[in-house]
Amino acid sequence: MRKNLIILLLLIIALTLPLYTGVYILHIFSSILIFLALSLSWDMMLRTGQLSFGTAGFFGLGAYASVLIVVKMGFNPILSLLIGAIFSGLIAFILGFIVLRLREIYFAITTLALTHVFSVIIRNFSDFTGGASGTILANAIFEGDPVKIYYLILIVAVLVIIISEVFKRSRIHYAINAIRNDEITAKSSGINVFKYLLFVFVVTSAIQGLVGAVYAHQYAFVNPESTFSLNFLLLPIAMALVGGIYSTNGPIIGALLLGLISEYLKLIMPYGHLIVYGLIIVFVVLFLPRGIYSTIHNKLLKSNIIGGDKNANTASK
Amino acid sequence: MSFSLNKSYKVLLLLVIFIVIIGFWNPNALLDGLQRGSLYSLIALPLALVLGILGVLNLAHGEFLTVGLYFIFMLNNRFNLDPLVAIIPTVIFLLILGAIIYWLTIKRVVKEGHLSQLLLTFGISLILIETINIFWTSMARNTYTSYSYASMEVGGFRFGTYELLYILIAVLVLVGLQLFLKKTRLGQATFAVGQNPKGAKIVGINVNYVYLFVFSVAVAILGIVAGAMLPRTAIFPEVGSPFTLKSFALAAMAGMGNLNGILFAGVTLGIGEAVINSIPNYGGWSDIVFFGVLIIVIISRSYRGAR
Repeated sequence: MRKNLIILLLLIIALTLPLYTGVYILHIFSSILIFLALSLSWDMMLRTGQLSFGTAGFFGLGAYASVLIVVKMGFNPILSLLIGAIFSGLIAFILGFIVLRLREIYFAITTLALTHVFSVIIRNFSDFTGGASGTILANAIFEGDPVKIYYLILIVAVLVIIISEVFKRSRIHYAINAIRNDEITAKSSGINVFKYLLFVFVVTSAIQGLVGAVYAHQYAFVNPESTFSLNFLLLPIAMALVGGIYSTNGPIIGALLLGLISEYLKLIMPYGHLIVYGLIIVFVVLFLPRGIYSTIHNKLLKSNIIGGDKNANTASK
Repeated sequence: MSFSLNKSYKVLLLLVIFIVIIGFWNPNALLDGLQRGSLYSLIALPLALVLGILGVLNLAHGEFLTVGLYFIFMLNNRFNLDPLVAIIPTVIFLLILGAIIYWLTIKRVVKEGHLSQLLLTFGISLILIETINIFWTSMARNTYTSYSYASMEVGGFRFGTYELLYILIAVLVLVGLQLFLKKTRLGQATFAVGQNPKGAKIVGINVNYVYLFVFSVAVAILGIVAGAMLPRTAIFPEVGSPFTLKSFALAAMAGMGNLNGILFAGVTLGIGEAVINSIPNYGGWSDIVFFGVLIIVIISRSYRGAR
């Protein structure tokens, strides 16, 4: 009950934010929500035990697909966001048949290499994609109205949160957990490992494509350097780690915390404010392997402050 | 895992034929490729060493190279030290830095899963890049030395001599490493730890010390590379980053623990890159060589069941 109240409260705050803040704050929260969605999608893939470094790649593919379809074919911008998601999902579906055979370090490295391959291909098809200088949209989505853009990003973020929760509460959750804990046992108990991995890979890639499309339309341009920037890989990972992996709440808390800290640091330290991400990743890997959310949650559970909420406990594991 | 160790002679023969053909067709690309290739393999050797012995894929590898480059740049800028002379203090500095970083962080994840190792080294690479950003900002910087653009002419064919140094250093480092691993007691212990850490521990080898040693030496070798690179390279905080993946591509192609194979793989890919680079209008595609080969090698391995 208390949990529902908190969610409701947060949703109301998020919905009414444009009423009492300026453009600057809205912009900060827009970018936090973008990274929140990326972070959740990365975590959803990690829940299957596969460490994907392809977040930036599918982000960039979605961005390019949606921008190019508007520029070259005059699509409706809102519809083109969906095209971005579908395109990324489709590429993930095709590549999944090859890439998902790999495990651990090889999966991680191959997805990272794919990100580079995507950006090289896009840079070299310069007739179609604009090459190294990129493509500029005539106009940002909603004529660049920050409030409308904020609501669009909020819708995307809430959608991703809902998908993540559906994954947590449905049968998929058990299959995914079983695959992560012991793939051979999962296989021998009749779980079609490849099918589930492919499903999660396609869904998370489509999310990344959608987020990329929204991001590209917010700033009205794409270019290989900045669209395939490894920031779209590193920052979401750091956020998920800080909050706590394998949960929905973890990445949300991580994104809010790191987003606000780095925004503040950017003001006092123009060069190198990202160092805080590196320090936090190292610190969390070494000392808090379960992340902030899970650590605090477990402490509270032990001291019986929020006892009885068994569902949440299993969910955070 | 290794596919060129047993068939070393065949591979060498194929490589020689390949080089001769390229040499007749496009000598400039050949020379460029040889230089690039030896630079790549020089950078890949320490990564393969750490990967083979510690089992840790160091994603901060390229950033250690960047740190070495900036350290030499600083020595050159402040004290007017020649980059090639500055190699000596840089190697010592990187040796200590590597040891400290191993002691503080890597040590704790050597026995853990790949996930924490990858994430930890990712974090370290971010810290190194951003530290450089804080001190030097993201501006690109250059050093000038009188010899870096020297050239030579043989039979009407003109080429730069400085980069031949890469080939020399690559061969020297490779031979030195091999001799060290085969002839010295510490080297043999390193070899033993690489093959079986538990067994090595039972026969009384201090595994932790070997790990510390291997990691710091691997980082220190990058100091040599940095000294050789600096006169010809503009440096900026992300200058070393692309080399991490390229090094891993070479290590994966050569097979784990096959140090000679890295030189072969490096030269082959280097020449491949140079050839594509020399084709007019399609030069931009050369970046795809390494990643394409990396993906193909990993996937073909997986199809042979060697996951």
